[in-house]
Amino acid sequence: MGSSSGQPEFDYLFKVLLIGDSGVGKSSLLLSFTSNTFDDLSPTIGVDFKVKYLTIGEKKLKLAIWDTAGQERFRTLTSSYYRGAQGIIMVYDVTRRETFTNLSDIWAKEIDLYSTNQDCIKMLVGNKVDKESERAVSKKEGIDFARVYGCLFLECSAKTRVNVEQCFEELVLKILETPSLTAEGSSGGKKNIFKQNPAHTSNASSSYCCSS
Amino acid sequence: MWRSGGEDLQGFYPVRPECLADVPRTRFKSRAGKTLSARRWHAAFTEDGHLDMEKVLRRIQRGGIHPSIKGAVWEFLLGCYDPDSTFDERTKLRTLRREQYAAWKQECKTMVPVVGSGTYITMAVVQQNGEPIDESSVENQGWVVKETVRDERVLQWMLSLHQIGLDVARTDRYLSLYEDGANQSKLWDVLAIYTWLNLDIGYVQGMNDISSPMIILFEDEADAFWCFERAMRRLRENFRATATSMGVQTQLGVLSQVIKTVDPRLHQHLEDLDGGEYLFAIRMLMVLFRREFSFLDALYLWELMWAMEYNPNMFATYEELEDRNNAADDPKLLKRYGKFERKYVNSGKNERHSNTIAVFVVASVLQTKNKRLLKEAKGLDDVVQILGDIAGNLDAKKACKEALKIHEKFLKKLGAQIGPSRKFSFAFAVFRIKMQHLQSGTKPALTWVVTSSIEIGKAVFWQVLVITWTCILYTLVLSMAKASVAYWCTVAIRIFGLGFMSMVLGLDSCPQW
Repeated sequence: MGSSSGQPEFDYLFKVLLIGDSGVGKSSLLLSFTSNTFDDLSPTIGVDFKVKYLTIGEKKLKLAIWDTAGQERFRTLTSSYYRGAQGIIMVYDVTRRETFTNLSDIWAKEIDLYSTNQDCIKMLVGNKVDKESERAVSKKEGIDFARVYGCLFLECSAKTRVNVEQCFEELVLKILETPSLTAEGSSGGKKNIFKQNPAHTSNASSSYCCSS
Repeated sequence: MWRSGGEDLQGFYPVRPECLADVPRTRFKSRAGKTLSARRWHAAFTEDGHLDMEKVLRRIQRGGIHPSIKGAVWEFLLGCYDPDSTFDERTKLRTLRREQYAAWKQECKTMVPVVGSGTYITMAVVQQNGEPIDESSVENQGWVVKETVRDERVLQWMLSLHQIGLDVARTDRYLSLYEDGANQSKLWDVLAIYTWLNLDIGYVQGMNDISSPMIILFEDEADAFWCFERAMRRLRENFRATATSMGVQTQLGVLSQVIKTVDPRLHQHLEDLDGGEYLFAIRMLMVLFRREFSFLDALYLWELMWAMEYNPNMFATYEELEDRNNAADDPKLLKRYGKFERKYVNSGKNERHSNTIAVFVVASVLQTKNKRLLKEAKGLDDVVQILGDIAGNLDAKKACKEALKIHEKFLKKLGAQIGPSRKFSFAFAVFRIKMQHLQSGTKPALTWVVTSSIEIGKAVFWQVLVITWTCILYTLVLSMAKASVAYWCTVAIRIFGLGFMSMVLGLDSCPQW
């Protein structure tokens, strides 16, 4: 009995959060990753959610990806979703400079305030590289920011799907390398808001024994 | 023209061919004898323009409105116009409103010339601190602030303009009508002007979903604006953001209370999953199910909800007029209320309540997924996924019908909790005071004794008044022995008697309760 009937079993469940300014393409990035399509999406109201199953090495993973509204007004609502996230992806639009400057002014601070996971993996993603001619933030600036804040970095395009899968895969690999996070992801730890059914817990805890 | 299955309106609002696969199929069909047709609509007016709203409401609640007349009917449903007015009066009011809108638009245009220019802004025009944007690279549709903006209100408005633009660019993009840039800038103008007039709330994402249908239904931008403004009267509190919460959470609180009352098991389950705050229902309430239905089906759901919530005093309330009719004085008036609103008025409750039917529609959606939620949801992610499956699979009429049932059940259960004490006004007064006392957590003091005595005194006064009134009427009628009069008097007594009985039983004894 899986969490939804007919879905494959998995060894780990990771919670990933997408944050960043309005209109940078968080929802598009997610849609591009989960269903290989690109569309003009309506703005996210509150929080949206999608699941993706991945197999990395021998491990089957379930990614629960929460996609948040970018507008400042929604921050009181989105803040509660940081809790228990193993990975947080900060997205900016390489063609709009203010979406990049807001990362240090706003989004990095939000993570410090609301993330409950000390070891949570952070990733910086510059979206819309397909509009190279309109670029307003250089790749080097992205790399520098990532170095300062200790996060992973990639540039991608949800439209052309360049680097989209890599964004999530790199993040997941890093989570898998972090023992405290895999422990949490596999046992549905107490801090995690996803409460696992006993079947998963037993299944997953055995894989935890193997992996540690 | 009318087939038994009803008129298929699949292509009434054309969808861009490349988006057809991503958009839910339209389920709404115009059905003869159920849907309000153009012919029926025009027949509902008297020669000088008075509208038989009762008849119209009955139709809409049965089968919605034919898309060809939606805009005109919505204006009445939303309280833009009074059905009791004449054609002439309405034409005058419309002209006045269009002039008013033009004046506001001009005011905004003076501050930001992009307003009304046929284009819109998607990049910031000013810095957060009011300083001009220093980068020369900004090709902002040809316009940015040149001098520091000192007025706090103007700055606040200017800062929201590019956000509106970002959202307009991606609102209902699948509709062919929005391929036309003119419609997009119309939407942007309406939202920008609304924001300027409502700075206490400002622009919040989701308002674009509410205003987009108005842009499509109305040829005239000012008419679209006013219809949007009226729709927002019901919704605006949901969009109010403070440092700690969002307005929609008030409705989520009501939803939580409703589910707790009508389906305690489901509520407990959601609470166990850390979903007792019902945050997953935010979008349904804020954009009124726009994302769960196809375009036309969402409009159908809206008009069903608005017809059910219809209150004949709406126009007077919005226009701040004094002449309101009280249904409690005249039972005939009750028929002019929507099915949902009638329940409130009927039970003597305050007409200004925050329990909109939308909350009960969400409750009905949760109820239809009750089994899956209880069985399969092991986490909040599962809850969101299960509810995500409703997109395109919901029937608007059924959802509203269920919502009314849940509403009834909710009122009944709530009534069962306080009903017995309400039957006797004395006991109710005491009960109320005790509740207040419990809630505030204070100990009985002299003031408490005094206030409780006053409350009980008031109750006694009303009871005595009602009984005396009844007695006087009976004596009067008995003393008039003339045969013809006597017959009508007996009828009158029966009618009044019933009213009084219900009053004596405490259903409607004291106006302020």
